[in-house]
Amino acid sequence: MEEPAVEMQGVSHRYGSAPVLREIDLTIEHGEIFRFLGHNGAGKTTAINILTTLLVPSAGNARVCGHDVIADRSKVTERIGYLPSDVRLYDHMTASENLEFFAKLSGVSDPRRAAAETLDYLDSSELGPRRMSTFSTGMRQRIGIAQAIVHQPSVLFLDEPTSGLDPSGVRQLRETIFRLNRELGMTVFMNTHLLSEVARVCTTIGVLNHGELIYKDSMAATNERFPNEASLEDIYERMEGHPS
Amino acid sequence: MTRAIAAQLVLSLRRQRTFLALLVTLLVMTALAGVIGWISHRTIIKVYDQAVTLLATTGTPAPPNPFDTKPTLALLSNMVIYIPLIGALMALVLGHLSMADDQSSGIGRLIFSRQVTRRSYVTGKMLGALTVLTVIMAASLLVSVASLLIVNGTVLSASDFGRLVLFYVISLLYLTAFALIGMVTVLLTRRRSMGLLLALGVWLVLTFAIPQFTSGLRPTASLNPITDPVSTSQTFFDVTAKARPLSVSEQYKEASTRVLEIGSPESALATSWRVLPIGCLVLVMAALTALLVSRHDYSRSSVNE
Repeated sequence: MEEPAVEMQGVSHRYGSAPVLREIDLTIEHGEIFRFLGHNGAGKTTAINILTTLLVPSAGNARVCGHDVIADRSKVTERIGYLPSDVRLYDHMTASENLEFFAKLSGVSDPRRAAAETLDYLDSSELGPRRMSTFSTGMRQRIGIAQAIVHQPSVLFLDEPTSGLDPSGVRQLRETIFRLNRELGMTVFMNTHLLSEVARVCTTIGVLNHGELIYKDSMAATNERFPNEASLEDIYERMEGHPS
Repeated sequence: MTRAIAAQLVLSLRRQRTFLALLVTLLVMTALAGVIGWISHRTIIKVYDQAVTLLATTGTPAPPNPFDTKPTLALLSNMVIYIPLIGALMALVLGHLSMADDQSSGIGRLIFSRQVTRRSYVTGKMLGALTVLTVIMAASLLVSVASLLIVNGTVLSASDFGRLVLFYVISLLYLTAFALIGMVTVLLTRRRSMGLLLALGVWLVLTFAIPQFTSGLRPTASLNPITDPVSTSQTFFDVTAKARPLSVSEQYKEASTRVLEIGSPESALATSWRVLPIGCLVLVMAALTALLVSRHDYSRSSVNE
């Protein structure tokens, strides 16, 4: 039986004496598009930092594709792609050079080819020879996605991927996520505190409130459970205890 | 991984204007060192020739030409000043730029979400910086040889060439220390600008403050590698004289002047001892850089919850 894409068991984290995550238990199966919802400071980024091996949790175990994020860090990093919220790559290098660099760091055998193919897949080949410093926020986001998938990971972590994007950029990003999931079979784990674009792409949602996972279920089950709520915003507010 | 990180650094530095401006300044000053040496050489020869003519009219024998006994490499004596001033500043900026993007722009988060260990990362950064500095010193060496050949019409003997190479090797070691200081100051500060400011502060202390203290009453000692003309018999000057080995800037100048045969002669062993504090500083800074990288929290490098 295949191991879950993401598994967290009793994961807690503190910054100094302040608890940020409290005993999170979470399982995400392969092929899901999971969305972590929560207000600013709820602990969403900390959870992603732990799952991407950037942060060692204060307590509990976290596994990605069956590999422990601390003990098997190398195997975890082979299988994940990561796009931080405020994506910045090397401004003095072209998009292609940046992609080749990150492909090399992921051990890709032919980085140049991988970079070209990734840009082609994202319909962004024209951006390849241009320096990053000349890009708009939307273009940077496309190259950010490209660096995250250039080594064809199994699980893609996106941290506030829509921040700074205009409506057209958000729509384009949503379509890209959908394609990556359907065509390449990537499991997607994303954080956001914005709700408007959530419902149309994710298969499962989880809600974090002050470091606690207060809800996790599929979108279909969520819609069934809250039949009287007009939108996901209303459902989210009810979950967080702010009935509208 | 190490090679990829080193190659990225080299490529990135090649395109950064601030760094390139400092590099061009250093190479121009290297060429100028030869020109300045040639101008002073010509002036002295001119004065000498006039003196010989004057003395000949009175039937007095002329003293020997001062440049007959002056070593060829003395024409490049200004390099001993340019390296600690412009070269060290350039190395600081190099070290700063090599770490600043990864820290302040959050690229470090992307790098460490890959199969990159802290050790291979820091080794790659140091290797990249060393490669760039080596190329710069090699270019500087070529400019020095060319300026001696073109401007002064001097062909270097094998021994002089060896000494010039040794001078640039010592300079490379000295600049490596400053590149590492540039890296350390980025890792110690949260803001990019503060990192550069702190690095400049360290450069000022090492280049001006400590040499002033350790050379007692020699106000020009921080710039001119001259022999101590003041008797240091008082207690204060005893202390400052004893502290002199701790001044890497002074030690660099002293060692360089001996290698270029400008200063008063001393044994090779004594000159080697002068290089030792610079080597120690490089080792300490390299260890500190590795320690800071291993402990740095790259997950909080940028905007986070």
